[in-house]
Amino acid sequence: MHEAVEVRLTVNDETRALRIEPRETLADVLRDRLSLTGTKVSCDAQVCGACTVLVDGLAVSSCTFLAADADGRSVRTVEGLASGGRLSPVQQAFIDYAAFQCGFCTPGMLMAATAILEEHPRPTREQVVRGLEGNLCRCTGYDPIIVAVLAAAVSDGSDGEAGS
Amino acid sequence: MIPRFSLARPGSLEEAFADFDRSGGDAAYLAGGTELLQVMKMGLGQFGTLIDLKGIAELRGIARLVSGVLRIGATTTHREIERSAIVAGHTPGLASVEARIANVRVRNTGTLGGNLAFAEPHSDPATFLLACSASVVLAGPAGRRELGIADFVLGPLFTAREPNEIVVEVLVPAAAPDEGRAYDRIAFFERPAASIAVRLKVADGSISTATVAVGSLTETPIVVAEAGALLGGAPIHGVGFDMAVSAAAVALGGVDAVADLNGSADFKRHLAGVLLRRATGAAMLEAIGNA
Repeated sequence: MHEAVEVRLTVNDETRALRIEPRETLADVLRDRLSLTGTKVSCDAQVCGACTVLVDGLAVSSCTFLAADADGRSVRTVEGLASGGRLSPVQQAFIDYAAFQCGFCTPGMLMAATAILEEHPRPTREQVVRGLEGNLCRCTGYDPIIVAVLAAAVSDGSDGEAGS
Repeated sequence: MIPRFSLARPGSLEEAFADFDRSGGDAAYLAGGTELLQVMKMGLGQFGTLIDLKGIAELRGIARLVSGVLRIGATTTHREIERSAIVAGHTPGLASVEARIANVRVRNTGTLGGNLAFAEPHSDPATFLLACSASVVLAGPAGRRELGIADFVLGPLFTAREPNEIVVEVLVPAAAPDEGRAYDRIAFFERPAASIAVRLKVADGSISTATVAVGSLTETPIVVAEAGALLGGAPIHGVGFDMAVSAAAVALGGVDAVADLNGSADFKRHLAGVLLRRATGAAMLEAIGNA
């Protein structure tokens, strides 16, 4: 009696047609059906930000977002950030500025940071802090992450040394 | 994991009511899902059908009506309200209330109608909208009705909405020329520990009338009439202003606050008193700017 639904998602620029249960979350579909396990689930309650992905450019918690609600929309995950074998500027900055340790929050941080930089290409520190305030990290103390996002905004995207 | 359900995606209110009928009452309306899906995951709610309202055009959008009233469609997201130039021009306090809800992911997904219909005791918008004398329009198969926030939010997680009724829109009156409306909150977690909304008018260097609404202390946001009355007649600065605010803060001591993870009832009443001073000052600045 609980009918499956047909959905068509664009995930990292690739169209995926799927037949899913309505109760499947976007995180479930990305991880279990599409094997895109870069997206992590931690709190499962929209508090920690580990599962952050972009839907039509907006950051959402994929743990509490029905995959059916992404039907016809464009989804971006951490796997879609690098292109042509090159990390995105914000990914490179996370390496250059040691913005992660255990790495579990990092995919969510990167997606939240990507959304911030798309909205504010030259963000203030406050805009970065506000944009990341819903993403928890238990390792870094946050400052390296904030610095990395600010640095990514002024980098030219090339691999290089910290501060370049 | 979310318990199994069927998904209906109506394109109109009439279709949504028909979907509800077909479910035999075993259905819930879905908007952003930030509250409903969480409740279902936690095993606190189970429904055979979720009826997604996001495809109903009538429930969306922000407009300033000819009457001057701000109309916000129920499935408008917090983020859309936060970033709306119409809201910023009409009720700037609401834009800042919305900008502080939870985190950006919840704001990108959660809706104003869903927030009010869920009636979480720590709802930011409910407290502010109560002070603004805003109202909620409900539609059901039998017709529509408009309820003020106090008549809509009846208890914690409990509203006047019948199970098959749908929140269509929220209506916010325009501020009078000499009126200001402000909100302040303190939060240790994602939801506020205490919040205060103040709406006041200034005339001839004094506060002429004031309304004080308190949120997160009690099971629903409430208007504390005594606190508003004590602000009325106070001068807008100086010792007289300080004395009036202090007296109004003392009046908040009579609020039947509920201890929770944020702290004891006394602590929360103390926080409310501090916030009252800040929100009164902010409302006064807006009133003077509007005059």
